[in-house]
Amino acid sequence: MNPSRRIAITGIGMVTPIGLDAPTTWANLVEGKSGINTIREFNASGFPVRIGAEVKDFHAADVIRGHKLLKFASRTHAFALAAAEEALEDAGLRPTPSTASRWGCCVGAGMMGISFDELRTTHSFAGTGGEFNSDGLLDSDFPLDPVGFCRWQTNAGLALLMRQFGVHGYSTAVHTACASGGQAVGTALKVMRRRNTDFMLAGGYDSMLNPIGLSAFCLLGALSTDNDTPARASRPFDATRNGFVLGEGAGFLVLEDWEAAQARGARIYAELAGDGNSLSSYRITDSHPSGDGPIQAMQQALADAGMRAEAVDYVNAHGTSTLMNDRSECAALRVVLDKDIQRVAVSSTKSCMGHLIAAAGAVEAGVCALAIHHGIAPVNAHLKEVDPACDVGLVRVKSRSLRIRGALSNSFGFGGSNSCLAFRHPDEVTA
Amino acid sequence: MRSSKSIAITGVGCVCGAGKTVDSIWSSVLEGKSAVAPISQWDVAQWPVGIAAEVQPRELRTLVEDRRLQKMISRTDLFGLYAAGQAIQQSGVLTQREKLEAAAQAQFNDRSGVYAGCGGGTFRSAYEFFPLLTQAAGDMEIFGRDLETTVDPMWLLRQLPNNVVCHVGIRHGFRGTNACITNQCVGGALAVAEAAAALRTGEADRAVAVGHDAPIEPETVLHYHNLGLLAQDTLRPFDHARAGTVFGEGAAAVVLVTAAEAAACGAPVLGELLGSGCVTEATGIVELRPDGDGLARAIQLALQDGKISADEVGMVVAHGNGTPASDASEACALQRVFKGTPPPITSFKWAIGHSIAASATLDLALALKAINERVVPGIATLNELDPALHPLPVSSRPQPARSDIALLCSRGFGGMNVALVLRAGNSRS
Repeated sequence: MNPSRRIAITGIGMVTPIGLDAPTTWANLVEGKSGINTIREFNASGFPVRIGAEVKDFHAADVIRGHKLLKFASRTHAFALAAAEEALEDAGLRPTPSTASRWGCCVGAGMMGISFDELRTTHSFAGTGGEFNSDGLLDSDFPLDPVGFCRWQTNAGLALLMRQFGVHGYSTAVHTACASGGQAVGTALKVMRRRNTDFMLAGGYDSMLNPIGLSAFCLLGALSTDNDTPARASRPFDATRNGFVLGEGAGFLVLEDWEAAQARGARIYAELAGDGNSLSSYRITDSHPSGDGPIQAMQQALADAGMRAEAVDYVNAHGTSTLMNDRSECAALRVVLDKDIQRVAVSSTKSCMGHLIAAAGAVEAGVCALAIHHGIAPVNAHLKEVDPACDVGLVRVKSRSLRIRGALSNSFGFGGSNSCLAFRHPDEVTA
Repeated sequence: MRSSKSIAITGVGCVCGAGKTVDSIWSSVLEGKSAVAPISQWDVAQWPVGIAAEVQPRELRTLVEDRRLQKMISRTDLFGLYAAGQAIQQSGVLTQREKLEAAAQAQFNDRSGVYAGCGGGTFRSAYEFFPLLTQAAGDMEIFGRDLETTVDPMWLLRQLPNNVVCHVGIRHGFRGTNACITNQCVGGALAVAEAAAALRTGEADRAVAVGHDAPIEPETVLHYHNLGLLAQDTLRPFDHARAGTVFGEGAAAVVLVTAAEAAACGAPVLGELLGSGCVTEATGIVELRPDGDGLARAIQLALQDGKISADEVGMVVAHGNGTPASDASEACALQRVFKGTPPPITSFKWAIGHSIAASATLDLALALKAINERVVPGIATLNELDPALHPLPVSSRPQPARSDIALLCSRGFGGMNVALVLRAGNSRS
């Protein structure tokens, strides 16, 4: 435990497949509504998987001040700008010239790649057999678009966020696949505890719902192929689950010093109390059946928060709806929660919004804070027949009213990075 | 070592166009040799810019012996895994682990961190979809239908930005706290800063920090050229005639350990990491402030963090990327921090190119050599210091360091600025 500084969550923003803001997303999670549908953003009719959890009817210009910057923003950057704007508005706090250098920004950013349209353009200058032709790029008709190039830079999203909101302090971007969002929030916590900053904008953003992203996961066979029943396709911990559903979106939190937040009379959703971060070092895509790796991350998060398993009332599971993840995660939960395993409410909100990849951990951190704030454990939707290997305290059928003293949020990524965040109810915080 | 909170560097690994050991790269820098040469990865005969400091093709396959692994990772991952492995070997931490019993070994592994700064995505990875695009001829239904018979099923795994973190963990058994930082040029410097912070706060007892990148690609070269950022002949930092940067590639890694661990290992301490600072100018994606405000603030934070005053700094390894705007603003920042009397300044990109996310860790590896030998190498391509930057203590010839403390500057897109402060390894106080 690091007693040096308590960190309060005072602002939450979300752009997800089930809502363009945090309140709508939360309301739909509580109702167990699915945001999964047949893919509309591009023609996926020939793909083995034709469903996804798309952000719908999102118009960046409606929510983002200063349209000049938007020209440099990709779809996923626009999600990030919108969610961060909401989080700051929600907190009632923004960087000012006198506080800018004490504000930091820490993001879990999606994999960087040129857009499908740009790839097609480059391809049109390729050789006849489809081989890459470097001299084709020298063609006077080849569109060397500097804006497109800027948008493609690895830290472009971070750069736009810092510029848009005037953040001048410690800022960084991390990418550990599906653990990215959780690690970004955890890194923000560490940066604040070591007093590099006093305020953080922490979150994640991603969209792999494009022909290349969908291809990548189709090739690995990781996605649910329930093309005809999209609403039930993501059903973590169900005996009949058959893969995850690719989603997109962004989630951001505003973090500030506990005493400072209290002093200004801010609404504190929860304490961001602890971070655990481990490496499975097992295989790239596989998780260890015993839960080894995630176990250490959860134990570290609890120790870091000075919290015992007995004080945990809710776990927002990584729960991707793949057989391997769900079973391995439940094995880890059994070890960590031990005798409390049936008491603790567990749900995967990916059952409603799909898997937001690098954004998932950040959005789910916001979900944990809202769960504590509202006293509701959101339902693990679409669960009919529980996999006997996943017999943990799942929130079945409907959301459960529950005073949540402590919560955990899990995020595990390809490559074996495991993140666990611990949250505490404001009333449980003692000086 | 200064205190129990000191962070010692006990291992270094490097690969870049100038060699694949820190000693060979250091020698070529001291000899004034530049690794910049015509690009070999594609035919540049017709290209407006065709130079870079590439890792020699014959070296490429020697970096990672495991043939199966070679096929599962990308070019930049080869560099990163090689450098990390070399640094871990040199540090002696594996020998230390072997002496432990099984339970203690497991705890050792859980207390061993892995931090990487990497370049993120590449253009070349997407070329693997070209045959499918040709076959589909614009029909998305055919694209989707023929996908699985045309593209390698493992395609995504080769592109994972966190491959080095993952495979360093698997190869060396490190299982502790970790991060893969995708913050363009400052990624490597932040990997070092975050690893040191993890050691200071007790999250880990040891960590490897690696910066790796392979940015030399046709699109990138053309776009940088289009933005006026590339030199056509050579990289001349701070020179009157400087015309831009030149790409490099490679990786460098350091093993950081706590003072207690350093004593237990008995490995020579190559240096101490005293402090770091990280800020942004919030100027957008490629712009920077002409007054160097961000860099000056980052340096001041790093000095504070290391409890060092500016006049204790004995030498500066500047970012020195050779672009007119970056060098001029960097000079402003150094003049401001050192109140007009900076210690001797050098930079290394003229010799090994600008390897983006790998640049800061390569600079760190060379800075350790420099500060231990108290030699500030000359910038061999420097002909005439830009009069607008006078009096900046840079030289084409070696200068003596003023003390055993070095400052390192790393700057990147997003208005990012990171500074690291380190001390030579043979100082004991």
